[in-house]
Amino acid sequence: MIGAITSMLDNFLGRGSAAVTVPPMDGALKPNNSLEGLPPGIAAKAPGNLVQIDGAPAWSDGADVVSSSGTVVLTVGAPITALAVRNDGVIAVAALNGVLSIFDKDRNDITPAWTRRPDHVTAMSFGSKGEILFCVGSETNDPENWPKDLMEKNASGWVGAASVETGDIFVLATDMAYPSGIVQLPDDTVLVSEAWVSHLIVLGPGAKRTIVLDEIPGYPGHLSKSSGGGYWLSVFAPRNPLIEFVLREPGYRSAMMREVPQEFWVAPAYASGESFLEPLQGGALKQMGILKPWAPSRSYGLVVQLDGDFIPMRSFHSRTGGRRHGVTSALDIGGTLWLTSRGASEVLTFLPDEKGESR
Amino acid sequence: MSVANTITKLRYRYLPDHMIGEILSKNWIDNAIPFLVMVAVVGVFGTLLPNFFSGSNMEILGRQYGEFALVVIAMMVVIVVGGIDLSVGSNFALGNFAMLYFLNLAELPTGVSALLVILICGGVGLINGLLIGYMRLRAFLTTLVTLIIVRAVVDMLLLEYAQQMSMSFYSSPLWDTMGMGGFGPLPFSFAVLVVVAVLGHIAITRSRPGWRALAIGGSRRSAYNIGLPVRRIVCSAYVLSGMLVGAAGVLYAARLSGAGTDTGMGMEIAALTAAILGGNSLGGGRGSVAKALIGAVTVLVLTNGVLRLGLNSGSGPMVLGLTLLAAVFIDVRWLKNRGKLLSKVYVSPTLMEMPQPRSTEDGPLAVNDRLSDVEVIALGKVESPEDVILDENDYLYSGSRHGDIIRYAPPNYTEHEVYAHIGGSPLGMAFDKDGNLLVCVGGMGLYRVDKDRNVTKVTDETNRSTFSVVDDSRLRLADDLDIAPDGKIYFSEATIRYEMHDWPVDALESRGNGRIICHDPKTGKTHTEIRNLVFPNGVCTSHDGQSILFAESWGCRVNRYWIAGPNKGKLEVLIDRLPGYPDNINRASDGTYWVAIMGMRSPALDLALRMPGFRRRMARRIAPDQWLYPNLNIGCVVRFNDKGEILESLWDRKAANHPMITSMREHKGWLYLGGITNNRIGRVRLKGMDDSWSGWSSYWGKKTGGQA
Repeated sequence: MIGAITSMLDNFLGRGSAAVTVPPMDGALKPNNSLEGLPPGIAAKAPGNLVQIDGAPAWSDGADVVSSSGTVVLTVGAPITALAVRNDGVIAVAALNGVLSIFDKDRNDITPAWTRRPDHVTAMSFGSKGEILFCVGSETNDPENWPKDLMEKNASGWVGAASVETGDIFVLATDMAYPSGIVQLPDDTVLVSEAWVSHLIVLGPGAKRTIVLDEIPGYPGHLSKSSGGGYWLSVFAPRNPLIEFVLREPGYRSAMMREVPQEFWVAPAYASGESFLEPLQGGALKQMGILKPWAPSRSYGLVVQLDGDFIPMRSFHSRTGGRRHGVTSALDIGGTLWLTSRGASEVLTFLPDEKGESR
Repeated sequence: MSVANTITKLRYRYLPDHMIGEILSKNWIDNAIPFLVMVAVVGVFGTLLPNFFSGSNMEILGRQYGEFALVVIAMMVVIVVGGIDLSVGSNFALGNFAMLYFLNLAELPTGVSALLVILICGGVGLINGLLIGYMRLRAFLTTLVTLIIVRAVVDMLLLEYAQQMSMSFYSSPLWDTMGMGGFGPLPFSFAVLVVVAVLGHIAITRSRPGWRALAIGGSRRSAYNIGLPVRRIVCSAYVLSGMLVGAAGVLYAARLSGAGTDTGMGMEIAALTAAILGGNSLGGGRGSVAKALIGAVTVLVLTNGVLRLGLNSGSGPMVLGLTLLAAVFIDVRWLKNRGKLLSKVYVSPTLMEMPQPRSTEDGPLAVNDRLSDVEVIALGKVESPEDVILDENDYLYSGSRHGDIIRYAPPNYTEHEVYAHIGGSPLGMAFDKDGNLLVCVGGMGLYRVDKDRNVTKVTDETNRSTFSVVDDSRLRLADDLDIAPDGKIYFSEATIRYEMHDWPVDALESRGNGRIICHDPKTGKTHTEIRNLVFPNGVCTSHDGQSILFAESWGCRVNRYWIAGPNKGKLEVLIDRLPGYPDNINRASDGTYWVAIMGMRSPALDLALRMPGFRRRMARRIAPDQWLYPNLNIGCVVRFNDKGEILESLWDRKAANHPMITSMREHKGWLYLGGITNNRIGRVRLKGMDDSWSGWSSYWGKKTGGQA
């Protein structure tokens, strides 16, 4: 009873849970323009998951897996949503049509019969025992429809493990708010990014969840290991006070989803500013022909390096008005960082240690 | 669902939410809480006490009130200048004693005695004033000392004369009237109070000394710095206070005809409580007679009520003390939070159902790149050229946000100079028949720059609407103008609720906050022609001179208003369902019109316009920078004809070369572009338009014939 009154009062006064606040980009997350300053990368249609195949970087691009030399390594029947490679060369490919296929290192299809259909996979990686660890973003929305899943405020995602050999699928955790990045830690626990709640959790034995990093000023996605012993976290879209506010307005949200085309929603996106039909916020009005780089935006480019204790060490940004937005994955190969930017449809590469400190 | 819809519509049509913000921005709203407290106190004691509202009780109370309220006004006068007067109680006792002494022992006439008493008490005030105003002693300590000394003097005098005074009994018709009579139903003291209150109110709100006193209370140092005679005014406030207390003492003497040691005991606390309870700020600078009167009623009813309820002897002061505490608390909280509350509730969105926009995919409004090769003029040299205009000699003029009119020299417009400095934010411009430049200036009004570059004000006010809370006679955001063939100037005021720098916030409200105003140079009169328009913006006289066309920006439509001919006074929609927000309208050489589209609609905002509650909460919960806004980063130029048919549009798809367009002017085959958030002016060559046509000749008849 008191709880209900408190929440009603909060709602009226805009306090507590109704307060619209967004964590600041500060400290190691202080904005810079590193990504925007990079030379042109490799053009792609819809670059997604970066992996290492035969020592060279490769990424998903639509239904293809493309390597950095430009060759198409693999093609499956639908756009790829997640990709992972085992040490022995086995490749796991999850596609938009709900098919999770396994290929051996000679690209032969060795997909077993899965005990459960792993639909809407957003991220995959291999565990130490050779099993696939994967995230299912949402029960109802496929990974291309992630803004809809956010606007519906779903928490129907789950994390599972699949045995390549037997086809057995085990559920590790359920009811998650769009898990979208997964990597196994040295102690065999699993680090998962839970996008809609902007935090990273570690799944311990017995499905024990520990939040290891929260208050991320964006929606965390792909995770990968850094060569220095930490992790690279790709933040695929920024949090924005207006969007947070819309998330607290069920009436407007449902009408918007019903009547407005999805690309023009008040919702985060991989890229923005393409059409004048997109929503615009007050701070993003150009003054004297200039768009302020700190103006509110629906899209942003951000990749963060975490240390072994998941503390952000430094970050690389593409700010409002930039193009290299929507970083969907990052891969560190011997100190060279490869990035996929969905906003710019580009695969970028640079040496982070030469970019200087971003703090 | 449809019933609910109808109710929502009716609610936003008839409930004037926006008035809450406007009322909160008025000064008199400070009295709201004190007034409610007064009503509550009167209500409670009125029901608790039998015969409270009876005539005899009212008369007794009225008589007491006359005396007490005078003392409270005295207290208010010193509080307003940032001081305090604790000596009112003993000064009151002195006045009472002196009056009785003069009548009974000195045997002076009533009038002379009263005058002397007022002078004596004023003298006490003068001592306070000299010490505090000129010697710069602390008001609290000084008046505390006066309180003690004057009380001691009164006690000594009583010891000396009380015996003699009680032996004699003075009586005269005037004295009896003062004590027991009055004017009709009004007790004498109450009538005195009414006169003092009216005079005091006028003095404080409408006279120089009153304003100066308020200024000194608000900030003594600033008042000193601007050259106000701080010391003299502070001193005279205490003198005035003393005189008012003296008058109250006279009235008290007339009512009770007795002097005792307890006369005026604790009166300083009661008066202070009343003054603060009424809403006079203890820090100074904020006070009025009305506040003092309200506070006096509350305290008088409270103290009398407690007495008559027969509570314990200590309970009277106890109630008074607690009330004072509450009053100080409310005073502090109100001062601190009023501005915050106002900023939260001022934005008051209303229901606006936007029709489906015309297509920008195909048809005459289809997006193209015809503006992508705009020639840029004065890049980085001009800021906020909202409107541009050219004269017959091809000179180009624009405003700037620094308040200048800037003139660019033909043919390349690389040279420019400040043509005139007006101040404010120059917006729409037009040349009259004699070649004078008329300019709408945001924040100032309508101005004229003549050929010798002299700036004169044409008008800055119109008639006030009957039921407006805020004074809407002053022009806040004069936007664009045009001149009718008869010389009358029609201009738009985009919104009466926002200042120049906040103009896009008006889109969040989308209420009819704007108006079309007409100024007649022949009579010098200005009057409002059409009210309740949704951000009326560009104004243009039609080619036949029979009507004016004006844009309603947030309504995404262009209207026609007939100013002559059979349809005179009729208002009709010429173009609706525009995909963006129309701004300035100007004539084209072929008998059509150009209209600038300053920004584009987005479906998310159109939806929000249907949901005023959503927008209201948005305005309260998130920072203005984060609000959902109209997209003013891209626009286009559209040409239409007198039938309201759209003929063509000119776009810059990337909005790179010329980001935003608020106005355009055709001149000799070129189209010149202005934009309020731009740091440049653009021009583009027109194909198939008359190369000798100029705006001025189109209006004022003289054919140019290439004399440029």
